[in-house]
Amino acid sequence: MIKIRKKRVCQFCEQNIDFIDFKDDRMLRRFMTEQGKILPKHTTGTCAKHQRQLSNAIKKARHLAILPFVTDFSR
Amino acid sequence: MAIYESIVILDSLLTPKDIDNVVDRLSVIIQERGGVIRKIDKWGKKRLAYEIEKKQYGFYISIEFEGDGNIPHVLESDYNYSDNVLRYLTYRFDKYKIRAMQNAAEQAKAPAAAVPAAEAVVALKPETNAVTQESQE
Ligand SMILES: [Zn+2]
Repeated sequence: MIKIRKKRVCQFCEQNIDFIDFKDDRMLRRFMTEQGKILPKHTTGTCAKHQRQLSNAIKKARHLAILPFVTDFSR
Repeated sequence: MAIYESIVILDSLLTPKDIDNVVDRLSVIIQERGGVIRKIDKWGKKRLAYEIEKKQYGFYISIEFEGDGNIPHVLESDYNYSDNVLRYLTYRFDKYKIRAMQNAAEQAKAPAAAVPAAEAVVALKPETNAVTQESQE
């Protein structure tokens, strides 16, 4: 996964996205590390409101095994 | 009355007939308690992101319904009782989801302006994510 280090503008605000869908795993993965951790908002530029929605969406997706909790590459 | 969606991961070893039976049983539970089924969606067999009960695959089904808050509780006790259910999630549509759904319905209606029944459009509208983010890479 490529970390997005551009201008610190919230991508969801920019594209007028109101609802973050937990079923869209490809989109959610762009806000996670390779290990499956949620990227902090100062890395992605996501605003507080959307970061909260995003992390809730990722947690729902994890519960339904759409996204991993952790991906350990060390073994 | 609120709109809920219940997503269930079933054992992928079930036969299609078994899965239909589960869907029918859940539909009956919802309807018996005054709920209205809006949409039933079989996502199909998917690889799980991590093993659940030593299983790598699961069969996902989603039921969208309208009803009172008692129905999720009844469904939950049914899920807990059933051995075939690996995982479930029932959630209530919040204001964002409802707005996204209405926008999607409106966008679907705009090109095909000939459809007068707005409710029918909402009911038949397939789940489209209002997320189109490809330009960032
Ligand atoms: Zn934002």
